[in-house]
Amino acid sequence: MKTIKDESFEIQQQEDAPRVCFRGALRLSGAADYTPILEMLMAMLDGPQRPIVLDLRDLEFLNSSGITMFSRFVIAARDREEANVEFIASEKNPWHARSLKNLQRLMPALVVRLM
Amino acid sequence: MTTETLGDCRKSSEEHCEYLNLSFSPLSAPLQSRWRNNGLSADFLGDYVTTFLPTASEPLDGSGQQAIRHAVTYIANELLENAMKYHERGVDIPIGIHLELSKEQISIRASNGVNPEQARHYRDFVEQILKEDAGELLVRQLEINSGQVPEKSCLGLLTILNDYSARLGWEFDSGPESPGIMIVTTRAVLSLKDLAGAAA
Repeated sequence: MKTIKDESFEIQQQEDAPRVCFRGALRLSGAADYTPILEMLMAMLDGPQRPIVLDLRDLEFLNSSGITMFSRFVIAARDREEANVEFIASEKNPWHARSLKNLQRLMPALVVRLM
Repeated sequence: MTTETLGDCRKSSEEHCEYLNLSFSPLSAPLQSRWRNNGLSADFLGDYVTTFLPTASEPLDGSGQQAIRHAVTYIANELLENAMKYHERGVDIPIGIHLELSKEQISIRASNGVNPEQARHYRDFVEQILKEDAGELLVRQLEINSGQVPEKSCLGLLTILNDYSARLGWEFDSGPESPGIMIVTTRAVLSLKDLAGAAA
């Protein structure tokens, strides 16, 4: 399992499936600081063609630089016709539905499951 | 002092408000070590608002409180991040964030010092925001950011407008105290009625 974390967040990528879980508060200071996370996500687009699942249910906070990072991944996925991406979100975090709606405007085929 | 205002800079008509001021000296610590402080300050403002809200508005249920806490935390964090990022280096003008709570609205404003060229760039961006639809601009900006490593995402203000339905206003002050430096204040106002409605 690959993990990226600091004192406020933890991101875990499963070894046997293209699934990444996000926890905590992501408030990194800009594109450069988000690069390792974006690279982890982008690498999954090059893997076997299976649905890529990003589980945000325990991601309590995401700053606008983090929104930019997710949008860059979603646009890269959109531009590969075969890519299949699903976000799992939670109703307990009021920002999930709003921010993910913006990502769906970028990629209409994006699946968002609000739980 | 001369002040130029753009957007919605109406002050609250109410006389009695709760308010909170936080001020940071930009010379006392480098930006990177300040960054953690942005999150702590923003979380504090979100918690502060929900502590005082029951006296200022109609009773709110748990999800209403959570929606308001998150909106205040997000907006305070974005305004503070911008103020820290774009503050003119080496200038001993405090970076400030001010939160004001009245019966009808929550106002959050952040201020920092910039040189005239930065002020001009920022004013151009503000004028674009005022002219165009925030949702369209947001999607366009996300597309632009995808094609290059963004030096600045420019998204904070657009998400505050589009995702949180805040009213934004700006003040550009040039005063004699710091020649060559302008004080830029960005103000976001959330209507409590709208927030409660959105959470319902």
